[in-house]
Amino acid sequence: MKTYGTKLKKLTSAIYPIAFGVLIFIMWQTQLLHKLLNTDVYILPLPSRIAEIISDNSSKIMENVISTVEVAIPGLILGSVLGYLIAIIAALFKTYGSGGLTVISAFNAVPIVALAPVITNWTKDVSPEASVRSFAAKVIVVTIMCTASMSVNAYRGLTELKPFSEDLMKSYACGKGKTLLKLRLPNSVPYIFTALRVSVPSSVISTLVAEYFAEYITGVGRQIRENILTAQYATAWAYIVVACLIGIIMYILLILAESIFLKNRRQVLSIK
Amino acid sequence: MYRLKRIVTSKLFVTLIWILGLIIIWEVCASVVESTKRTPENILPHLSGIVDSIFSDRKVNGSQTAFQMVLDNAGATLSRAGIGFLIGTLCGFVLALLMNLSGIAEKIAFPYLMLIQMIPILGMAPIINAITGDIAKSRIIIAAILTFYPVATNTLAGFKSVEREKHELMYSYAANKLQIYIKTLIPSCIPYFFTGLKISAPMAITASILVDTLQGGIGLGCLLSQSLKGAMTRYVFWQIVFFSAFIGIMSFCLMGIIEKALTPYKNNRKTRKRV
Repeated sequence: MKTYGTKLKKLTSAIYPIAFGVLIFIMWQTQLLHKLLNTDVYILPLPSRIAEIISDNSSKIMENVISTVEVAIPGLILGSVLGYLIAIIAALFKTYGSGGLTVISAFNAVPIVALAPVITNWTKDVSPEASVRSFAAKVIVVTIMCTASMSVNAYRGLTELKPFSEDLMKSYACGKGKTLLKLRLPNSVPYIFTALRVSVPSSVISTLVAEYFAEYITGVGRQIRENILTAQYATAWAYIVVACLIGIIMYILLILAESIFLKNRRQVLSIK
Repeated sequence: MYRLKRIVTSKLFVTLIWILGLIIIWEVCASVVESTKRTPENILPHLSGIVDSIFSDRKVNGSQTAFQMVLDNAGATLSRAGIGFLIGTLCGFVLALLMNLSGIAEKIAFPYLMLIQMIPILGMAPIINAITGDIAKSRIIIAAILTFYPVATNTLAGFKSVEREKHELMYSYAANKLQIYIKTLIPSCIPYFFTGLKISAPMAITASILVDTLQGGIGLGCLLSQSLKGAMTRYVFWQIVFFSAFIGIMSFCLMGIIEKALTPYKNNRKTRKRV
């Protein structure tokens, strides 16, 4: 009886959102949505038209997707590793470390728009090739955006220990290094994923914005802008859909990785 | 000695040292850039140069100094960001309330709240501009959308965080639904609500500036792109960079201040704990 109830619950929690999505889709396709928003099929093309464009231009879209992902992933990795290292240093020298983190987390509030053009100027000398230059500029922007959230979260993971576990390490006569290795680092793993949940979507979005300001015209974000400027709204919509897909796929991959890495921890929790 | 140590390890002092350190690094880099580049102000000007340009009364566009111009445009941008932020906050809070009131609403909306985070709203700025047909309106809408989901998800988490015992207590008081919301649920979701606001306040400003860059008119973003194209002195650009960073951080702090003002009882408890 109970399993039947939970199954029904699961079923309804899937049906409601899907029904809602289908409703919106139908309204969009039948142009009811256009009437509501007071717009036309030119600016808000029908889903079928967008799908058509995606399938027609798949090779060109793929090219831009690769160029965007090529920026987002290295930026994400670099930023996360850098943020984690900063967090370790901050956790080792706590008084000055936490103050430094306050300053770093202030970077979170700095608009990316302000960063992107500055960094484009900085990377002018990196290479004579425009593509390499703007690649470097974009990766730096994404790195900065990802560093802050990782360092703040990882610092919490490294320092917010259960009181008894620290005492246990002391009673084992562990030094600072060993405590870091055996206690602090493992303790911070769930916090790393908390940080990544923020920084994975933001890495994609900051890549798109960085592309707006980059010298070299490539990437999904830049295509959205270029197509809007030339008033090709349908193509721009196709790129927007693709951009959403990149974000969603990267997020799903993250959730998968999380379920693998945190598997043992969940079991411990459920035993409790 | 003890006193000195307390000052040296105090939070304010540590932060000041860090800021001083960053300024020193900036100045060293700026000196290097100055000696190697032809147009240092495009890459990394001295901070003194930026401060000078704020206080100089040289007219940039005939009638205004650089800083006056930045302030003028900032007013336009900030008011739009502010309106969008308020609308987004209101919608987010109401949605969270609805989701908590009705299970169906929660089931419908929750997956989409997750999804909306994946959508590059900033990338959609031009489209929204095209739909509304009015740049000022689209700036407000985008700021509202960006504000909306952190507020909604965090407030909902706040509603859910209320302990079972509190619900049971209210049940034993025979409190009705309205009383439960006013007396327990809404007060206890306030810290979560403000976490959402702290995330979204800088985002609303970023969005507002970014949308400015898409079309001319008045606004920090327009000024930024004009200055980058070389229409006026580069220092206007640097002023905007620092100004937007400053208001981004200030908006975050402002939310903290409002939170403290609204929940004085929370502070008391904290200080009592510390003693």
